[in-house]
Amino acid sequence: MSLYPSFARPNSLAQASELLAGLSGGSVIIAGGQEIMPHINHGAMQPDIYIDIGGLKELRGISEADGVVSIGALTVHRELQGNAIVAEKLPMLADAASRAGGGRQVHNRATLGGNLVAMHPLYDIAPALLALGAEVELVKAGETRRTSLAALMHETSHGLGSEAILVRVLVPAMAAGTGWAYEKLKLSGGAYGSANAAATVQLDAGRITAATLTIGAVADRIIDAAAAVQGLIGQAWTAAAAEQLELRCPALVKQPLSDQQGSGEWRQAMAGVVARRAMAAAVARAGQK
Amino acid sequence: MMDDLLVQSVLVQWRVNGKLHEIEAMPGMSLLDAVREQLGLTGTHMGCQTGHCGACTVMLDGRIVKSCLTQAATLPRAEIVTIEGLKRADGTLNPVQQAFWDEAGFQCGYCAPGMLLSAMELLAEHPDPTDAQIDTGLAGNLCRCTGYRSLVRAVKAAAAKMRETS
Amino acid sequence: MADHSTIDDTRYVGQAVRTIEGRAPIVGAARYTNDFVFPGQLYAHIVRSPHAAARIRRIDTSGALKVSGVVRVLDGAEAAAHIKPITHYIDPAVFGGKSAEVRVMAVDEVWCYGQPVAVVVAEDKRTARFAAQRIQIVYDVLEPVLDAEAATAPDARIVVPGWDSNIMMQAPFRNGDPDAAFAKAAHVVKTSVDIHRFSTQPIETRCYNAVWEHDIEGVTLYATAQNPHPLRHVLSEVLGMPESKIRVHAPVIGGAFGMKMHGHPEEALMCLLAKLTGRPVKWTETREECLLIGAREQRHHMELALDADGVILGLRDRYFANVGAPSACPGWGMAFLTGLTMPGPYAVRDIDVQMTVVITNKPSWNAARGYGKESTALALELAIEDAARQLGMDAAEIRLKNFIRAEQFPYNSPTGLVYDSGDYSGAVLKAMHAIGYEGWKARQAEGPKDGKYIGIGVAFELTPEGGALPGTMVAGYDSSSVRVAPDGSVRILTGVTTPGTGNPTGIAQIVADELGVTMDAIEVTQGDTTTCPYGFGNYSGRSTIVGGGSAALAAQQVRAKVVTVAAALFDVPEADVELHRGVFSVKGQQGRTLTFKEVCYAAYTGAYSVAHGITLPLEATATFKPSNIRHTPDENGRINPYPSYSNAAYVTVCEVDVETGKTKVLAFAAAHDCGRVINPVLVEGQACGAISFGVGGAMFEAIAFDSSGRQLTRSFMDYVMPRSEDLPAVKMVHHDSPNPVTYMGLKGAGEAGVGGSAAAVVNAINNALIPLGVSLNTLPLSAPNVWGAIQAARKRGQREAAE
Ligand SMILES: Cc1cc2nc3c(=O)[nH]c(=O)nc-3n(C[C@H](O)[C@H](O)[C@H](O)COP(=O)(O)OP(=O)(O)OC[C@H]3O[C@@H](n4cnc5c(N)ncnc54)[C@H](O)[C@@H]3O)c2cc1C
Repeated sequence: MSLYPSFARPNSLAQASELLAGLSGGSVIIAGGQEIMPHINHGAMQPDIYIDIGGLKELRGISEADGVVSIGALTVHRELQGNAIVAEKLPMLADAASRAGGGRQVHNRATLGGNLVAMHPLYDIAPALLALGAEVELVKAGETRRTSLAALMHETSHGLGSEAILVRVLVPAMAAGTGWAYEKLKLSGGAYGSANAAATVQLDAGRITAATLTIGAVADRIIDAAAAVQGLIGQAWTAAAAEQLELRCPALVKQPLSDQQGSGEWRQAMAGVVARRAMAAAVARAGQK
Repeated sequence: MMDDLLVQSVLVQWRVNGKLHEIEAMPGMSLLDAVREQLGLTGTHMGCQTGHCGACTVMLDGRIVKSCLTQAATLPRAEIVTIEGLKRADGTLNPVQQAFWDEAGFQCGYCAPGMLLSAMELLAEHPDPTDAQIDTGLAGNLCRCTGYRSLVRAVKAAAAKMRETS
Repeated sequence: MADHSTIDDTRYVGQAVRTIEGRAPIVGAARYTNDFVFPGQLYAHIVRSPHAAARIRRIDTSGALKVSGVVRVLDGAEAAAHIKPITHYIDPAVFGGKSAEVRVMAVDEVWCYGQPVAVVVAEDKRTARFAAQRIQIVYDVLEPVLDAEAATAPDARIVVPGWDSNIMMQAPFRNGDPDAAFAKAAHVVKTSVDIHRFSTQPIETRCYNAVWEHDIEGVTLYATAQNPHPLRHVLSEVLGMPESKIRVHAPVIGGAFGMKMHGHPEEALMCLLAKLTGRPVKWTETREECLLIGAREQRHHMELALDADGVILGLRDRYFANVGAPSACPGWGMAFLTGLTMPGPYAVRDIDVQMTVVITNKPSWNAARGYGKESTALALELAIEDAARQLGMDAAEIRLKNFIRAEQFPYNSPTGLVYDSGDYSGAVLKAMHAIGYEGWKARQAEGPKDGKYIGIGVAFELTPEGGALPGTMVAGYDSSSVRVAPDGSVRILTGVTTPGTGNPTGIAQIVADELGVTMDAIEVTQGDTTTCPYGFGNYSGRSTIVGGGSAALAAQQVRAKVVTVAAALFDVPEADVELHRGVFSVKGQQGRTLTFKEVCYAAYTGAYSVAHGITLPLEATATFKPSNIRHTPDENGRINPYPSYSNAAYVTVCEVDVETGKTKVLAFAAAHDCGRVINPVLVEGQACGAISFGVGGAMFEAIAFDSSGRQLTRSFMDYVMPRSEDLPAVKMVHHDSPNPVTYMGLKGAGEAGVGGSAAAVVNAINNALIPLGVSLNTLPLSAPNVWGAIQAARKRGQREAAE
């Protein structure tokens, strides 16, 4: 904690990684700044060293190869919304990014990496990426590793933000005909999510052959509702199936958040509502092809 | 050896409203403070410092951003337009400014940087925006005076004027 | 007084002219308080209490003093040694209440979360903040008193040492024989209305920059202040300095809504620090600090006595206002106005209302748009809605049945107010027509679609405006100067200020017409105690009534002077001289004209010729003092502190998603009576702004605390205000009945609408949920709360079915 912090802007990933490895605690990675600046502005966060990763070309760009879309960590929400590859292969991600708050100004600066590293339970990008089975590539002390986003979110010592750099996110392209929907419930236009759900579904002759579902903003971690959708496989999406899903989801919320986005009791119930709505919309979309 | 990369301040070069500036950015300082305190451009306002109100909006390399959420030192070179730089070269108001004045878009005017710049970016993409597009376009900004109706009216008037003349 | 029938196209008044002050903000040239920086500028950072109630055992400032760049550190005890307690804006003792000694920073004890405890002054704001974290304070935490009703219990801890209870003031508003009315009632409807704490939150936070004037040993305070002259008076008392050595300058204000009325500790504190350091000291409020300023937390226990036809025979209300910790700001007075405005627009004579204002360990209130009258509207309108439902009557019909009728004005209210004019039924009918009431009813009758229930809400708000409280700086009058220069340009200096409402333009419109010049010849100066005539600033929707009224009178005097000079120049009788939009002409003589500029120059240079009959310069100062304010108590000891009674009807249609409890406002209509409309765009802007407050307050704006009294709502992430998408288009119709005693019939337009629109939303939501048996009068009606009420009603239904 210093009144006169220092600053570095490495220009390659290798350089950044080496720099971070050599520093003792107190350093903070900064990308778009949308997450950390409020804390810095109010003095709640006073790092000794800022490492600006804005110059790392390795963290930029969106491409597709072998059915996997690779998205650089510095990609901003605005690009996720407008990029042609994302629009075609990962439309749910584009949609989730467009639902984030803060307006155009934030969308122009907020990075994918920063959003994920924040691991904020109310945010929108992670539920969508988890439902899409995303993986991430990290660099720490010169070593690169790849892991599923789901696993990362349960790690406690990944070091992201101070020692480790999130380089890119790798997302399997959505199979043609996949139905999807991102459902967000918030108290008002300017509020953060109170309950979010991301769903994908595949249908064959009216029956569900595969489905994923994640629920965000209701607990301190995003919930993988695989257990709740399990029972849907092989079935048609009927009113009874919808009701079943709605009833099963709240049980997955062990310790609901209770804050100014709504009481725990309501959030738990809403987990079921948004899950059912997302799945219903996903099914409807799958039907359309 | 990597410690060589660490500096106490960053000399940044910005073109602000067309004029080149070189200033010393202290790590941690926001673009808002740099613009207001170092460049003396006080048309950009502080409202919340958490990115919710939009009163600090400026245009950075052609895109609108909240200057309170942008750290000055991370912008070694940048093209910045603040509300002071929105007038046409001949000193007259641009069509969006003119419409906001004509339609009494604002009351206290504190939110003007965000509203004007958001409207400009919106209209560049959607010359004839729907109500929903206007709502989304202004979503990054709070106004406490108007209830937004006059702002929406002004955006529509600006759009009509710009379509007419383009 | 002007003849109302002469308003036409040749006049500015009544037209939607563009605001004269509107250009500066859109080019970034408007200078708000925080934009001023002076040579040698220092910055202050305030250390605030993290506890709701605590005894201060020790403050150690040595760590802060060691930080390089720190110029001065001060704690509450040291400040108290230099300056006096803050003078109350409205001293409760004047009204029979208890008055606490309020210091700029806590001495010995803290009364609420966020109360200033110490301050650091440094060369830059980051250093000040950094050093502030190095001040060590040891507290003995006390049990906080948080709920108003619980605070009145005999065993409750007393917040203010030396008081015998936490009740700051208790007052009855009683008339007639309410007990008899209740005894003969066919129905008694009891409704508890719980209004939560919500706040005005202008986008510009407060800022004070005090500059020590070494030459006169005085101080200039640049301030986000609605009332510069009365603030100067307070500063002179607190600092112990004559008013003549103090200048308060309020530059352009970025929204105020009552929050920038004074009594705030930081005002005098910055002046003291400027004196102690001999340098300019600035403090800019953070949003977190701004969110500490509360308002409106008030619980009403209403009872209506009705006859079989729905005529209200009597009204009882016991209400408790949780005004938080003692403060010198005028916030607590809101609670008083709530009672005084009962029973609003309804012709009920037998009333028994009791106000209890309670001090607790929550942060204090300050004035908030509506100033308590919004709470009157909420309490009344929710209770009436409840009554309509219980009697099986239409909500609009029950109101129409009980309104004061147009022919009853001027109307003596049961609390002593004298309502000037109005047509309440007419306004409601107009608003219902504007929204298409019957069409929506038909749509509602079709039943819910996809779990979405439609409800229609009607509400009315009576908003006394332009208030004058005896023995306080809440004055009913104000003054303006009109100065014409030799080149014919005009400067208006007025004692009223603008928080951004456009009143300078309204005042300029009036002066342009009265004087006979064009709008572009006029500049308006406000907010500076050294240049402007003594005035009371902005509150209570008064600025156009008294600012415009006084400017009109001054303009008439100056016009008389220039007409005399023009008559001499033309060599015709004064009665033959005409002046319109800057051109003098002679009646019946085509082609003989003089410009305003020519005549003004001739006046200034012709003191011994053409202008010898007038008093130079071409200036005049006048005061407008509404004649119907009465401070001499009547036989029942009542006064009439208001000259004007704006009123408005609100009708809204809401759609409630019963699965989530979330409401969408589909349509809004308002019929507004603000008397004569000077500029329809400005009036509409005020109304839409108030509706936005009402919608946000009714549904999602809320300030929350934890059980230890720490405020949880610390940023706009948690204090969520409406955005564009949350508000529908507003159909606004005017239903004006001019005030017979004000200039041109003005009534004021700034304050009305928060309570009426909030009540309309609450009523619409409850109306939508009638089929589910829900009636929710605990605000806010946020999605979780509405959902909770639906669940509770379902469970009740299931229980009843089982029994
Ligand atoms: C007003 C507002 C409203 C918002 N509403 C929403 C919303 O509704 N939904 C939503 O999803 N999000 C929302 N956001 C959050 C926003 O999306 C994130 O703040 C943003 O994406 C963070 O990215 P950044 O680059 O600006 O982060 P920074 O502030 O630069 O960094 C954030 C954190 O991530 C670390 N970090 C950043 N990049 C990397 C990297 N590549 N490798 C390792 N560590 C890294 C930093 O060290 C820091 O700890 C909102 C933000 C604002 C300001």
